[in-house]
Amino acid sequence: MRLTLSSVYRPYSFPTLLKSSSFSTLCRPFCSSALSSSPTCVKPQVPLFLRQPIYSTKLCELKKWHDWAKGVAFSIGSTFVDSDNGPDSSLLCRELKWLMEDAVEDHSMIVKDDDSDERVKMRVGIEELYCLWKQRVQERRPFQYVVGCEHWRDLVLSVQEGVLIPRPETELLVDFVDDVVSENEDLKRGVWADLGTGSGALAIGIGGVLGSEGRVIATDLSPVAVAVAAYNVQRYCFQDKIELREGSWFEPLKDMEGKLAGLVSNPPYIPSKDISGLQAEVGRHEPRVALDGGTDGMDALLHLCDGAALMLKPAGFFAFETNGEQQCRALVDYMENYRNGSFCNLEIRSDFAGIQRFVIGFHQ
Amino acid sequence: MRFHGNFIICRYLSRLRNQFNSNFEFPLPNFRHRAPFFLRSYSAEVPAQLSPELLNIMEQRLSAIEYRTSCLNNFLNQPEASPSEYARANKELRKLSGSVDLIKELRAKQKEIDGLKSLMAECSEDKDMLNMATEEMGQAVEEERKLQNLLLKSLLPKDDADERDCILEVRAGTGGEEASLFAMDIFRMYEKYALEKGWKFEVVDIAQSDHKGYKEASAAIAGDGVFRKLKFESGIHRVQRVPVTEKSGRIHTSAVSVAILPQADEVDVQLKNEDLRIDTYRSGGSGGQHANTTNSAVRVTHIPTGIMITIQDERSQHMNKAKALKVLCAKLYEMERLRLRSSRSKLRLEQIGSGDRSERIRTYNFPQGRVTDHRVGITYHSVDDVMQGENLDVFIDALLLQEEMDAMATFSSSQ
Repeated sequence: MRLTLSSVYRPYSFPTLLKSSSFSTLCRPFCSSALSSSPTCVKPQVPLFLRQPIYSTKLCELKKWHDWAKGVAFSIGSTFVDSDNGPDSSLLCRELKWLMEDAVEDHSMIVKDDDSDERVKMRVGIEELYCLWKQRVQERRPFQYVVGCEHWRDLVLSVQEGVLIPRPETELLVDFVDDVVSENEDLKRGVWADLGTGSGALAIGIGGVLGSEGRVIATDLSPVAVAVAAYNVQRYCFQDKIELREGSWFEPLKDMEGKLAGLVSNPPYIPSKDISGLQAEVGRHEPRVALDGGTDGMDALLHLCDGAALMLKPAGFFAFETNGEQQCRALVDYMENYRNGSFCNLEIRSDFAGIQRFVIGFHQ
Repeated sequence: MRFHGNFIICRYLSRLRNQFNSNFEFPLPNFRHRAPFFLRSYSAEVPAQLSPELLNIMEQRLSAIEYRTSCLNNFLNQPEASPSEYARANKELRKLSGSVDLIKELRAKQKEIDGLKSLMAECSEDKDMLNMATEEMGQAVEEERKLQNLLLKSLLPKDDADERDCILEVRAGTGGEEASLFAMDIFRMYEKYALEKGWKFEVVDIAQSDHKGYKEASAAIAGDGVFRKLKFESGIHRVQRVPVTEKSGRIHTSAVSVAILPQADEVDVQLKNEDLRIDTYRSGGSGGQHANTTNSAVRVTHIPTGIMITIQDERSQHMNKAKALKVLCAKLYEMERLRLRSSRSKLRLEQIGSGDRSERIRTYNFPQGRVTDHRVGITYHSVDDVMQGENLDVFIDALLLQEEMDAMATFSSSQ
């Protein structure tokens, strides 16, 4: 249901400021209508580990489920790895352990060896647990959607269908910002923007490294994402620091022209032709609008470059995540040749897997 | 000059041994839950008199400290001191301040004693007065001794790492699966001990064996004086028991090694970013948005030393990296400590807590229900209690006492 919802919103993902874009005219009425109607209708889900432990199960019943789930995990072997680089048995077993941690109130009970009639308090019913694990393995539903959260940096962020699960690579963007603001007091107390914020991960991460005067504006065109991000912002008590605005890329930021101290984004960057071959967890369950970057995957990135030149104040900083390697070079090339004079100190940075992943730099 | 320390420690340790052995023969109902109350009493309730030699040495030190303090204070009153000199002098003063306060107290007490002495000489006729003065004299002398003992302790060389948190590492050694099971038991023993002490025990990483034992496990322990109490746990812990995996009921001997490393931060070890290589175990492919994996394992390599740490227990890459760096810093700090220590005198190397990981320090014998610490020669007759994290203090307190005595011996022989 939510998947179809996000695919309906798909047209918004196309840049509205691009010269060639014919979507901008098409887009605007949709955007404004989405703006006015949506915030009230989306209610974010509460992650499993934060729900009330209102269920209770016999320890032996829980153990039975656990043994069953473990069996299911082992039956997978390397099937998923071979088909689409998905999880293997050992990874599924670790996820199983985490699912237990999130579902059972006092998980020290689990180590007890005796099969007693003792009861354990749980945040979800035992039947539901069977259901969840089937979804995880048979339907390849991402583990993070199953438990409703993703551990990212030192944060635990709520996620749900319709919102991209923040990736470990993206953690580094916050480190880049941290490095920049620790040497530049002016940027530290400026206004930053996180475009296409999804769960709000980058915005909250950056909110944590800015000074007390620094602010972040996070935008997303998906009402689900805005609602989830707002929930996460509230959980970390950043309501005064992080402002959420619904809309496509720079559209909700018209008042900030030339004023932004910094700009970060992890926009959709996968070339359209690659979408069908994605790992099942990604391709079948995550919002396409957050993944599909157009023919060569650069649509959003190029649009962000153009916008950055307009929105950043002099010496403002930007950092973008890309599909890696060739895309990084193409982006730098675009900035140097087509946006000559707008940016300086352009740099390509690698992620921890050694893939050239990010482009960072400053506005002139 | 080790006479004094040796004498006292022999006396206390033999008393300790007698207590435990006799309690094994005639067990008191409540004994196992009681702390070994007598252990540190020599400096608390009934202060022992320090030997005249020791007092003499201490007196010299006290005068030196008083002289140094007044020099520093004079210096600070001079306007021409540069900020860095000023800061250095202040730091030294702060370091001395603990001893200085005690010295002031001691001097006041000694003055009081002198006053009482002359009072007693003057009023040798007045019996009531004399009684009162004698009584006060007794109290004052006792307090003087207490202060002297405290001062002596403050002057003894301290391990700078004592107040630090620590990293605990337990590794299964010889003995296969049984060693892994015992490694798990030992790891849990420290977890329970930490819990009892009100310390924070945070698992860093666990590598499980096939039978649910631990091949390797590590934890970060934080709290008051963690390293001071746990540092003597480093070494080989030997177990003798019938393994659950053994069908014929034969007793096996196996071993696990324990390492206790003081925690350090990146500043302590001057960690440089360019010395680090960080890898993740993301399987091939494009990564980023293409992949959704919960595998957030991180491997940190310290290039100059080749130390490699892999952590995968946490659910985020960032937290795994933070833990790996924590362990790395502890390892680098320990290397530096060992380097410093080996350049110090032989005497200190011979002391307990030498950190020699190959030393067999303790045996847990389950059939006989006993635990023996080979360094202090103490046997405690309830292995179950010890494994529950209770009464580990029996050994730890004795080892701390021995350390103090050794330090005292070094103090008096170094003059």
